[in-house]
Amino acid sequence: MWENRCKIVVSGVGYSKVSRMADIPLAAHALEAVKGAVADSGLEMSDIDGLATYPELPATGHAEIDGISVVSVNCMMAMLKLPNLTWHIQVGTTNIGGAVQQATNALLAGVCKYAVVWRAMHNPRGTYQNLPGAQAAGATQFTAPYGFGGPGQGMAVAYTRWLEKNNQTRDKMATLAVTQRKHTQHNPHAYFHGTPLTREDYFASRMVAHPFCLFDCDIPVQGAVAIVLTTADRGRDLKPKPAYLAGYGQRLHFETAGRIGSLSSYMEGGSSSAKLTWERSGFTPKDVDVAQIYDGFSASVIYGLESYGFCKEGEALDFIQDGRIELDGDLPLNTFGGSLGTGRIHGLWHIIEGALQASGRAGSRQVKDANVSFVGASAPIVTGTTFIFVSEPY
Amino acid sequence: MSDWSKVTRPIPVPNEWTRPFWDSAKLNVLAMQRCQSCRHFQHPPYATCVQCMSVDLKFEPVKGGGTIYAYTIMYHTGDKRFASAVPYASIVVEMDEAPGALMAGNLLEAEYTEAKVGRRVEVIFEKLNDDITLPQFRLAR
Repeated sequence: MWENRCKIVVSGVGYSKVSRMADIPLAAHALEAVKGAVADSGLEMSDIDGLATYPELPATGHAEIDGISVVSVNCMMAMLKLPNLTWHIQVGTTNIGGAVQQATNALLAGVCKYAVVWRAMHNPRGTYQNLPGAQAAGATQFTAPYGFGGPGQGMAVAYTRWLEKNNQTRDKMATLAVTQRKHTQHNPHAYFHGTPLTREDYFASRMVAHPFCLFDCDIPVQGAVAIVLTTADRGRDLKPKPAYLAGYGQRLHFETAGRIGSLSSYMEGGSSSAKLTWERSGFTPKDVDVAQIYDGFSASVIYGLESYGFCKEGEALDFIQDGRIELDGDLPLNTFGGSLGTGRIHGLWHIIEGALQASGRAGSRQVKDANVSFVGASAPIVTGTTFIFVSEPY
Repeated sequence: MSDWSKVTRPIPVPNEWTRPFWDSAKLNVLAMQRCQSCRHFQHPPYATCVQCMSVDLKFEPVKGGGTIYAYTIMYHTGDKRFASAVPYASIVVEMDEAPGALMAGNLLEAEYTEAKVGRRVEVIFEKLNDDITLPQFRLAR
C-alpha cells in the first residue's frame, strides 16, 4: 500500500453557473468556481498558496484565447494576485486528474499548504469539432480526409468494435443515459437539472455518429468547477468534513498518435491506471461503494467499468442494468449526473462528486454508508486517471 | 448511397515519416511502414518501431485486402464539406499482412449499412489532386 494514503484531502468545492453559451468571459466563471471552493473550505483567498489546472479546450479548429476559451495558471495568477503563492503547475498528458495528482504531490512535498485546482470549459460558437482546414497535417493526414473530425467519431469506432465483437446492442445504453439524468435531478448545479430524460427520448433522438445518438454525448457548455486540496491534518480543522485520498493512478499506455478505433488503447490505459490505484489504496473493485466514471461519451463508461475491473470485458452493458447503478443499487454510478447531466466540464466534477460522496456531503443524492468512493476522471485512453476517496483514514 | 461528389476532403500533408506512403498511393500502391528488424507493420507511420524500438523502417507494398476492424456511420453535418455525403461510413481496416495496424478510410461503392465489423474489404484509390491520391476501401470482390 501507498505510504501516503489518506495524507491528502479534498476540502471545499465550488461551481460557476453552467450555461450553453458565454455571457461572461470564461475567466469569470473560473474565478466564481475558485472563490466558491475557497469559501466552502472556510478559507480566505490569501490562504491559497498552490494553483493547478489543465486548461486545454478539447474543441478543434477554434482559437485558444486565455481568459476567453481557456483559463491558464497565468490567467488565474493575474486575477487572484495571491500574496502567499508558493507553487503552481499546468499539466499536459493526463487532463485535469493529473493536475489534482500534481497538487497532491506538491502538498506531500510540503511546497504548498492549500492548493486550488480548477477546470474551466468553453463552448465556442459554431461547430465544436471542426475538421482541419483545407489541409490535414500531422496525425490528422490519415483520419481527417475520411471525415474523422474529433474524439466523438474516434470513440464511436471503438464502440462499434466493442458492440459487434461482444454481440451487444446500443439499446442497453439507454439505461445509463436515463439513470444518470435521474441522478442529475439531485444536482442543482448541472446543466440538465430540471430536464428529465425518458427511454423514449433516448430512442427517438437523432444519431450523431453511430452508435452514438445525441444523448450519448455530453453537451458542450460554458462553466467551471474547482476544489481545494490540503493535507489531512490541516483539512480536519477546516469547515467541511474532508474526503481522504486513499490512492491514485494514471494511464501508463499510449499507442501512436492518429491511431483510432483501437479497443486496447482504452482497456490497457484504464487497467494500468486502476492497477496503481488498487495497489496504492489496498482496495479492490468489490470494496467500492460508489463510483464516478468519466462519461464525456457514454461508451467511456463501458471501457472504464471493464478496464478498472468492475466487470469482465464485454459485460459492461449488462452490468449497468436492473438498478445496479441507481443511488440505492449495488454500484451507484455517476451520482451527480455525470458529464451527460452536468454538461462538458471534463473530469474535475467526477472528482468533486467522488470526494462529496466519501465525506457524506452529497445531499439528496448521498449514497448511504458510502466509504470507498472510486473516480475514473477521464476516458481511459490518452488522459486517464483514477482515484479513491474514503470517509475516514485507515 | 452516400454522395461523395460534392465533398471537399482536407488534403493530407506528407511529412518526413509519411511521404513514402503518399508517393506509393499516387502510383495506386498501398505501402505500409515495416520494421526491418522485427518485420512488424505499423500504421500510422512513426519515428521508431513501436514493437522493438528499431529505427530501421521502410515502406513495403501490401496486397490491399483487409477486414473492417471498426466503423462509425456519420450523421452529424457539423463540417459542411462532408454534409452532402451524410450518412456515410468511416471505417477502420486491419490489412491482412499487418495485424494490429489500423487504417482509416471510407466504405465506397456500397450502402453505408454494409459496414460491419469483420467484413472483408479491398483498397481502391481516390485521386484528390496531382500530388495526393487517397487509399479508400470497397467491399471485397
